[in-house]
Amino acid sequence: MIATETFKPLVLAQAKARKIEPKLIVVKHPVGGLNAEELRERIDTATKGLIEATGK
Amino acid sequence: MRIFNPTFGMAAAGGPAVSLKPVNWATDAIALISNSKPNARELLEGMRERLGATRKIDNIEFHAKNSASQPAPKDLIEAVAKKYRAALLALGD
Amino acid sequence: MKDIAEQEVIDIGDMDVEAFNELAAEQGWSDGMPLYVPTEEKVAKFVETVRGDNRPYPPVPPRQIVPTLQSMAANAVMAGCKPEYFPVVAAALRSTLDPEFNLHGTLATTHSCAPMVMVSGPIRQELGINCGSNCFGQGWRSNATIGRALGLMLLNIAGAKPGEMDRSTQGNPAKYTFCFGENQEENPWTPYHVQRGFAATDNVVTVMSGEGPHNLNDHGSTTGDGLLTTFAGGMANPGANTIYGKGPMFVIIGPEHAATLKRDGFTIESIRDELYVRSRVHLSRISKGNLDTYESTGHKPEGDWLRIARNPQDIHITVAGGPGKHSAFIPSFGGTAVTCTRIG
Repeated sequence: MIATETFKPLVLAQAKARKIEPKLIVVKHPVGGLNAEELRERIDTATKGLIEATGK
Repeated sequence: MRIFNPTFGMAAAGGPAVSLKPVNWATDAIALISNSKPNARELLEGMRERLGATRKIDNIEFHAKNSASQPAPKDLIEAVAKKYRAALLALGD
Repeated sequence: MKDIAEQEVIDIGDMDVEAFNELAAEQGWSDGMPLYVPTEEKVAKFVETVRGDNRPYPPVPPRQIVPTLQSMAANAVMAGCKPEYFPVVAAALRSTLDPEFNLHGTLATTHSCAPMVMVSGPIRQELGINCGSNCFGQGWRSNATIGRALGLMLLNIAGAKPGEMDRSTQGNPAKYTFCFGENQEENPWTPYHVQRGFAATDNVVTVMSGEGPHNLNDHGSTTGDGLLTTFAGGMANPGANTIYGKGPMFVIIGPEHAATLKRDGFTIESIRDELYVRSRVHLSRISKGNLDTYESTGHKPEGDWLRIARNPQDIHITVAGGPGKHSAFIPSFGGTAVTCTRIG
């Protein structure tokens, strides 16, 4: 799951309520409202996070 | 003095335990699921494109909730669970 | 004191009210205003008022715990309710647990929505619930504390802690309390709960996750048609959530506006139909980026206009308030439903 650092506490609180451990990739907040150039940084971070998490 | 705890409740019965199969992120089909907030799909599209440098991406497919404010429909969850080994969920907030 | 969150009953020794309020703030139980102490004795009196209602409560999202009558009553005590208000509070919580209400979404959203609680039936008089002048405002213990009790239950039982599970960008004063009664006595049409299939003698609580009331001021119109032009203009708001996430909305008509509409032959159905047709936003008032978002979620314009409601049934109509030329528009969160529950 990809979430912003601001919404990480919500994801963790809801995961705790469901007794699951999410595999979480955290990017800077926000995602909404960014233009294409600004969004590129989030895409890079999320892709790097995915590669690190999956070892691929 | 004794008080009742205003947060107290009984734990809901849990759902059935799910056993996860190992995922091969280099080849397996992956579902990209957007929560339908602006830029969630664009974020996933960008990731898909970058993954194309290291793996084939024609089995990485997009899905989205009908509405950002409502839970994903059961049939979407079932279809994704049936077809894919892994899912990437993006919360575009 | 150990594992306070896991204990149903907590021994707080000889703590006074001030010390209890410090404890409550520390534990995250408070909405910020002073609380009554939920002693075993007080809670027992509240629980006694709902004995006989053995329908179980489902798990309350997002926290997913099943509340006990005692934990629900503890919140009603803390809010300042009288014991006889508790059946209304309990019915209001049950109403939010209808899956169509989408409690999880309404609590975790960045939108400002708060649960609007409307009470119908003879219990309004029995409990002194204000349905007339200033009905959305201050001054009535029942209105103030019933709404507050629901808010505290959503904080403490549902787990909607601001900044954690409750992610509202700005919040809304209605998150403290928002409860009023229908003004059935000055409603020239059918009371809302009867529109929803209940008997006129039933006591019913209606909840909707909504924004605060948006005023619809019309001192100038002398016809029902003129009033509907004003209402539709006030509803056609490109910033309200009902244009973004489609869903229900309330138009709460003041008694004087209602009398004019009735005189001119309007019914609940014809008001809904007219408002559905007239409450639309011209595309010149919507940015391209926002329009792209609406269209991507299936909300497409008709010609140069975007409708506020999906259909006439999205527009819920009733009468509340006192003398004066004002009505109110209350848009909902969007992905939610207006749910009704019989009290007791």
